[in-house]
Amino acid sequence: MSYVIEAKGLSHCYSKGTNQQVYAVKDIDFSVEKGELIGIIGHTGSGKSTLISHFNGLLKPSSGQILVNGTDIWKDKETLHNSRFQVGLCFQYPEYQLFEETVFRDIAFGPKNMKLSENEIKERVLRAADYAGVKKEHLDKSPFDLSGGEKRRAAIAGVMAMEPEVIIFDEPAAGLDPKGRKDLIKLIRDYRERTGSAIIIVSHSMEDMASLADRIYVMNGGEIAMQGTVDEVYSQGEKLRSMGLNVPEITEIFASLRAKGIDVPANVYTVEQGTEILKKLMGRCSS
Amino acid sequence: MIGEITFGQYYPGSSVLHRADPRIKLITSFWLIVVIFVCKNFFSLGIIALTAIITSLVSRVPMKMILKSLKPIVIILIFTAILNIFYTQGGATYWEWWKIKVTEKGVNTAIFTMIRIISLVVISSILTYTTTPTALTDGLERVLSPLKVFKIKVHTLAMMMTLALRFIPTLIREIERIMNAQKARGADLETGGILQRAKALVPIFIPLMVSSFRRAYELALAMTCRCYTGGEGRTRMKQMKVSFRDIVLILYCTAATAGIIILNIFFEAVI
Repeated sequence: MSYVIEAKGLSHCYSKGTNQQVYAVKDIDFSVEKGELIGIIGHTGSGKSTLISHFNGLLKPSSGQILVNGTDIWKDKETLHNSRFQVGLCFQYPEYQLFEETVFRDIAFGPKNMKLSENEIKERVLRAADYAGVKKEHLDKSPFDLSGGEKRRAAIAGVMAMEPEVIIFDEPAAGLDPKGRKDLIKLIRDYRERTGSAIIIVSHSMEDMASLADRIYVMNGGEIAMQGTVDEVYSQGEKLRSMGLNVPEITEIFASLRAKGIDVPANVYTVEQGTEILKKLMGRCSS
Repeated sequence: MIGEITFGQYYPGSSVLHRADPRIKLITSFWLIVVIFVCKNFFSLGIIALTAIITSLVSRVPMKMILKSLKPIVIILIFTAILNIFYTQGGATYWEWWKIKVTEKGVNTAIFTMIRIISLVVISSILTYTTTPTALTDGLERVLSPLKVFKIKVHTLAMMMTLALRFIPTLIREIERIMNAQKARGADLETGGILQRAKALVPIFIPLMVSSFRRAYELALAMTCRCYTGGEGRTRMKQMKVSFRDIVLILYCTAATAGIIILNIFFEAVI
């Protein structure tokens, strides 16, 4: 099998054995193929963060298995430690993890923990800085002197420098302005094209997901409520709404256009797509 | 792991003790703690133990919670008991081997000290279980307000304590978050010698400091925006009033103290 990450019947339970026992995630089957881009969406508290913390062994499943490249990561200490380098996890607001004297050394923290040679570390840092769009002249600066957006890029580079086979981004664009958001999505897309690495993105933004993801998992109450391609998931607007989620605004607009009897497709999920279609439509009307 | 510490936590409830005036609760708890050290024999100590048990029953805090607060001191308890048994000598010898001797006095002292420490922790945890941190610091501010005569800024101290208590859970969460982020980059926090482990804390400690300063700055700004200028001329939403139940609480402590003094006089001292 070519699954990079596979979860089988994964459950995580807090305060097990007491009367306050709660399942944060329950019976999850999840898989990521090599080079795939997976989106995880869900309401706050639906178990997204708990789920992704299992993929590199930060949390131990109460039951079920996590396989990375076909090996159970909890097999022994060695495997567990290595899984951290195979599965890179970039948390929400990663800029708060920066600590070194220079940006260079901070990005090098991961590769150093991998016990690589000096040369290899240097190469990786430069490569990762390039992927994440960290400017060369920033590498010798203190991370605390950078702006918010630059800090985030530096922190992302810190995860990329481990050159994992999968990178998980938890709300990568949280707290960024629209331009920062756009740049970040471009960054992720470029990274994927250049490295062919698999990516998992956890996000609230249905629209960003529509333009990025190959497949989407929708989580609700700790379980996987829906999964499939963007089309398969987004076409079930009612079901999404019942889980406190929404289809993108542009899809709503097109739905109301359809309701008015205008012949437009129902599967429009990004503004770019929408503009194209409207342009064509307008052209037809005016000519 | 860190989240399981219960000592100093509040347990919501509506018992008489929950509703009592925090000033009186502070004073009576302090009073009882002093009295614990006045006890000279098992009879007077029995009264303190009984007082601790009755108070915890009245507080309606589940016994499980009270026992939980004893968990962190189990090691101290065992340690002091062992020291007392072997180092205090006198009276009949129960057991002897080579130079080690277990005597009547040693065993008595060990038991005595254990009951003392347990009562001490139980009484002080009942105080924190039944009083919200805000009420506690408010009460403390009022109890200590006579110190203003000596130019001590009681209000500032109380505010600092309130803020410190308020931010403990926040900091715990922050530490967990940073630890996870660094672990995700392969930081090894569990193995190695002392020096290595201390070094491994740097990637956690620095971001923690940075975010603590940021938080402190934001908090100061928020307080300034709400016109906080210190204790001068501040009024309170919740006025503290001494009521009937507080008088009962004082009488209850007086009775316990009287009992202890009388028993101290009538029976021979053990310690």
